[in-house]
Amino acid sequence: MIRFNNLSFGYSRKKLLYKNLTLSIESGSIYGLLGKNGAGKSTLLKNMVGTLFPVEGSVTINGMEPKSRKPSFLQTIYYIAEDVYVPALTIKQYQNLFAPFYPLFNKDNFYKYLLEMEVSVDGKLNKLSFGQQKKFVIAFALACNTRVLLMDEPTNGLDIPSKAQFRKLIASVMNEDRIIFISTHQIRDLENMIDKVMIVDNGNLLLHSSIADIAEKLCFKTVAAIPTNVKVLYAEKMLRGTSVIIENVDGEDSALNLEHLFNGITENPTMAKQLFPIK
Amino acid sequence: MNDTFNLTRFGLLLKKSVLERAMQIIGLMVFVLCFTLMAYSIFLYIGGWGMAQNLSFIWGFVGGGTFMASIVFSYFNTNAGGSAYLTFPASALEKWLCGVLITGVFFCLIFFSFYRLIDYCFVTAYHNGLDRSSPLYQRMYNSVNLFSFEGNIVRQSTILFVNFAGAMLVGSLYFNKVAIVKVALVVCGVIAVVYFLNLAVAGILFNNIDIAFPYYTVLIKVGSEVGNVELPPRAGAVADAFLQYILPATLWITAYIRLREKEI
Repeated sequence: MIRFNNLSFGYSRKKLLYKNLTLSIESGSIYGLLGKNGAGKSTLLKNMVGTLFPVEGSVTINGMEPKSRKPSFLQTIYYIAEDVYVPALTIKQYQNLFAPFYPLFNKDNFYKYLLEMEVSVDGKLNKLSFGQQKKFVIAFALACNTRVLLMDEPTNGLDIPSKAQFRKLIASVMNEDRIIFISTHQIRDLENMIDKVMIVDNGNLLLHSSIADIAEKLCFKTVAAIPTNVKVLYAEKMLRGTSVIIENVDGEDSALNLEHLFNGITENPTMAKQLFPIK
Repeated sequence: MNDTFNLTRFGLLLKKSVLERAMQIIGLMVFVLCFTLMAYSIFLYIGGWGMAQNLSFIWGFVGGGTFMASIVFSYFNTNAGGSAYLTFPASALEKWLCGVLITGVFFCLIFFSFYRLIDYCFVTAYHNGLDRSSPLYQRMYNSVNLFSFEGNIVRQSTILFVNFAGAMLVGSLYFNKVAIVKVALVVCGVIAVVYFLNLAVAGILFNNIDIAFPYYTVLIKVGSEVGNVELPPRAGAVADAFLQYILPATLWITAYIRLREKEI
């Protein structure tokens, strides 16, 4: 479990990005952390992994404080930054040098993931393309079997088949004890993969809800005219009518459109908070 | 699990730290050794034994050691590299000790061994090349000896090494990009400030100050005569202790504290 307790963070003490953020994140879920560029997504992840320290308040992950960066904590969490770092080593050398630090590392799974992601296993890692390097790091991170996996824009640089493969892999490694956190502004990459959504903007947490809860409370559909008798979170004119997100008063089933949801929540945060109060 | 220090983990980390950037660490070491060999040869050709032994040792040891110190923590050039390093499951103490061991122990051991080897080869070649029947043989033989590791040059170089390497370790944790250049600028700036401050203080106390470099060189020039102002023994001992122990210890320990507190 990840717990934010009155967390305040800012790159300068005078100008805080996050103020008194309090929330709990349960194990067993894949979280999509959405936000515009510069909204504070990476900052939140860095506070979780302990490469940035809260100005006030605290973060605890499974009872441990990331700030102290203790080995017993670091071997239970893996953070993939937006840009990848790979040394001039072969995959085998990398595995021999890095894997011993992760007690739950599974070598068979590692090579299976590499195969599934179509990562070339010959030559040195730093000679691979950016996309291949990224896939390599994702495969290694998944094989480490850490309880918490934080990924910052993991699909950046991946081609279309690799994005699909990435979604499949993430779904396959998920279990009840794990928390997977995926931060992105490429919302469509997360569709059908995540089961919880967090939306941040300017350091404010605008939404923290499960997909099921969103589907229960909101209805996504295309209409000829915007309905007037229900609350409208978002409307966008399309070729064949207007795509809307409205309050789901009739208990309708509809397919979630993350991009529209994101636009609706960021444009209409007050209504979003009424519908999805932050716990 | 011991979160502060674990010998097995430390061994693995040390192996990883060296092999992960073998080209940088081993490559730099090889470069420094080659540079020292070349410097020895060139200075021997242009300036004789004293210049060859002293200058190649100073440049190789102090210069090479400073360069080595600048790369042991150079993970922070990129956000991803810095994050990967900070979140790697080893303690800050173990990571710091790796840096200290590579810079302060491995580099010194390899450099001193190599230097002794090349010096021995050069000196032996010189001795063997002398004409044993010459009346000057003994004098010429005795004029060239192995470079002493107990002399003043080594002592002064070691003081420079521990201070510059310490500054570089700290600097590479403060400056994420081109740390070596930024630290060199800061060190030059500090030395310039200290020099002019010392010159101003010496100027208040004495007339005719010629040079007033802190601690070792305060020279007074009267006409064509130059005199050296020496510190009183007690003040000299304090200055010695500061330069030899307090300043380097502060710098090297600051690197550990900075590594613990480093954010990226």
